[in-house]
Amino acid sequence: MLQSLFDDVKRMNKRQFLYQVLSFGMIVSSALMIWKGLMVVTGSESPIVVVLRQVFLHIQDRGDLLFLTNYKEEPVRVGEIVVFKVEGRDIPIVHRVLKLHEKNNGTVKFLTKGDNNSVDDRGLYAPGQLWLTKKDVVGRARGFLPYVGMVTIYMNEYPKFKYAVLACLGMYVLVHRE
Amino acid sequence: MLEILQNLTFQQLNNKDMSYVKNDVSDTFKDFFSIKFNYLESFALMDGRLAMCGIAVGVAMFALLWDYLYPFPQSRPILIFCVSAYFLMMGILTLYTTYKEKGIFVVAIQNDHTGFVPDNIWEASSFLKKFDDKYNLILSCKNGKTGARYEATMVKSVANFFDENGTMVYELLEPEVSKLHSSLLAERKEK
Repeated sequence: MLQSLFDDVKRMNKRQFLYQVLSFGMIVSSALMIWKGLMVVTGSESPIVVVLRQVFLHIQDRGDLLFLTNYKEEPVRVGEIVVFKVEGRDIPIVHRVLKLHEKNNGTVKFLTKGDNNSVDDRGLYAPGQLWLTKKDVVGRARGFLPYVGMVTIYMNEYPKFKYAVLACLGMYVLVHRE
Repeated sequence: MLEILQNLTFQQLNNKDMSYVKNDVSDTFKDFFSIKFNYLESFALMDGRLAMCGIAVGVAMFALLWDYLYPFPQSRPILIFCVSAYFLMMGILTLYTTYKEKGIFVVAIQNDHTGFVPDNIWEASSFLKKFDDKYNLILSCKNGKTGARYEATMVKSVANFFDENGTMVYELLEPEVSKLHSSLLAERKEK
């Protein structure tokens, strides 16, 4: 089978080859556009996230895929699960809102805590930061799919696996003719 | 005896993916047009498709770059535009491939060297149904002067063109091609 694949490549002229490259480009672009589309629709910069560590008792587990939205019109309320980013840390954190302060002008400050933790998240915030604001929030959790995120976890923990999968996919698309 | 030979060849062919077989025959057909009949191959159809793909990928890359330079939510309007444009291009491309291209793999132009008579346009399209061994080829000739279109079809088992090793045999395809070509030329002259 591999032999016939290479035979096909040898027979391709310039235009065919360019088309194969563009086909590959289109697959990548489609994935990219779907992701950006989701970003626009949900209002969140990261509409789908994977839970890396169990923080909620029986609600979210490692490997769960979370769907987030971040609409300006819907304010954050106490008891909700939010995904937020702390300055200086790459990985967003998924915790529950514990306390909320709302000023007359609409600015909101809130405090979060993981269900499984005994203390609130002040220890996780940036030095000098006691509260989270709207701009730290990536989104609110709206729904989840269990276990689906395990693939992402494996790909991140074993980068070679990720590269191998991507390389195989890439090779297949570049070489296979319709 | 011929039947046995055909069965044997088909056995070998089954190991190859049928799409490669179809491409094999189509490519050889293309060669006939350029080498044997000395027609000029027109790439307009293919170029159209390439241009559309290029634009789609370009739009996606632009969106990526813009979002990188001006992170979300600043990039929101541009992203909306790019995503819509991208999927619109995809839709146009699908329509193009389905209705305009229709499986046509070679377009050749028969030049009249005196330059008086407008060129005739030959188009060949082929398809091979899944799990079927019958290669369908439709050759059409559009008369440059009258604008009339003539078509000839060939439906033959692909096993006819391959030898026991699964290699394409030029000489087996040649008579079929010549037959189709001459029949179209004759039809044209009659009408």
